Amino acid sequence: MSGMSRRGFLLAAAGAAAATALTPPKRRLLQMNGYPLDAETPLELLGETYITPNDLFFIRHHWNPIFPDARTWKLTVDGEVERPLALSLADLKAMPQSSVTCVLQCAGNGRSLHRPIVPGVQWKYGAVGNAKWTGVRVRDLLDKAGLKAGAKHLHTFGTDAPPEKVPPFHRSVEMEKILRDGIVALTMNGAPLPQLHGGPARLVVPGWAGDHWMKWLARVSPQAEPQTGFYMDTAYRYPKTPGAAGVTFKPEEMTPVTELFVKSNITSPPAQARVGKKATIRGIAFSGAPDVSKVEVSDDFGMNWTEATLGKDHDPFAWRLWYHDFVPKAAGKTTLVARATDSSGSVQPREAVWNQSGYLFNAWPSVEIEVVA
Amino acid sequence: MRTRGRAAAAIGVLFGGALLLGQAGPGGSREGDLPALGTQLGELPAGEMKPLADQACLHCHSADMIRQQRLNEKQWTAEVKKMAGWGAAVPDDQQAALVAYLVEHFGPDNDRFQPVAAQPAGR
Repeated sequence: MSGMSRRGFLLAAAGAAAATALTPPKRRLLQMNGYPLDAETPLELLGETYITPNDLFFIRHHWNPIFPDARTWKLTVDGEVERPLALSLADLKAMPQSSVTCVLQCAGNGRSLHRPIVPGVQWKYGAVGNAKWTGVRVRDLLDKAGLKAGAKHLHTFGTDAPPEKVPPFHRSVEMEKILRDGIVALTMNGAPLPQLHGGPARLVVPGWAGDHWMKWLARVSPQAEPQTGFYMDTAYRYPKTPGAAGVTFKPEEMTPVTELFVKSNITSPPAQARVGKKATIRGIAFSGAPDVSKVEVSDDFGMNWTEATLGKDHDPFAWRLWYHDFVPKAAGKTTLVARATDSSGSVQPREAVWNQSGYLFNAWPSVEIEVVA
Repeated sequence: MRTRGRAAAAIGVLFGGALLLGQAGPGGSREGDLPALGTQLGELPAGEMKPLADQACLHCHSADMIRQQRLNEKQWTAEVKKMAGWGAAVPDDQQAALVAYLVEHFGPDNDRFQPVAAQPAGR
């Protein structure tokens, strides 16, 4: 990029920003960080469709990624296997393909809502989406390589590399989980996996937080022990036993973030409601358990609950859209709250468990509605 | 261009420095794609510590990452220590002044940050 075009870009960006301020586009991402890229989906767009379109799907990069060249890229399989492999995209496409439609949520989604405030990307609601992922089952991949007994953890590596002395983003996933549900995804909603989302291949770990879903996947390596390092031993950990808000835990007092917590959100409250007239609120609900069994709405802060209607679309570890019709009885402000219950019986709590990294916020969502006579 | 005004200086740090040199690698890079998505680069506020903060912080991430924080002195101290340990060029004797600058502008009451509304990415 030349100096002139950089200046031109700045001017163009300033102009675009001014226009944006006047008329915010409806279809948009909310960019939290210019580089590395972090951007979330606006809350009101989340509940519009069962499948989140690729271009509206949240983006989360730890650092400026090195995008692999799909023509020369290979996925290495080594470690505790009989036959180490190096598979091209064509090799992977030639293997049996499986699909899963499920939620991807950043572990830190909702971080900005924790109190006391914690550092990190200040995600609100939209570091989450629901997509159809297609590719090679991890089980098939490791069968092909000849997985040895005793390998309990799949170590995963992407092509992105940290700047300076920042520790590398090396991770591992428990073998039992990844063999049961894991996919090396090559497509997202039917399109080649976009580079911004980890293309040409990323790991998909249905029901588990995004830190397990390695992007720009370059190498997987079954090992007896879990991965070590900052992003296993310090980051992406959650208190084993909830403590008082604001009290910092030591790493050994915490356990890795894995399954998502049951969570609903209200994505579209009515702009206005009228006494005696039906109004509708809509939302999403998901969990680390395979399904959401119900969503309830309360207009008295949880004293009484009414069950909402779940959308028909439905897959294991995917979200459920929901809606709730109600008829306001009196004019004035009314506050509605929602909570979800998942198929294992977990109920969304009134308050999220505070933790120093701000993971897995899942308190009841609430919305205030103006009811007019 | 890095000497021509504040915006140019900031963008110089972003695009001219080792950020790209450090990130480019065999098989692909983001050089052709920067700046990405809805990039509208917010700046760090004026102050004696701005040049140091620009140099030390914007090498690896945009000012947005700082501008959205709402941290107290203890939290900023921990962040600065962590980043210095990870290679941010903050001399030991400048850390307290940098923390003070960050607390002044991005303390618990900071409510100025707004995300950039970006056109959806088609790729």
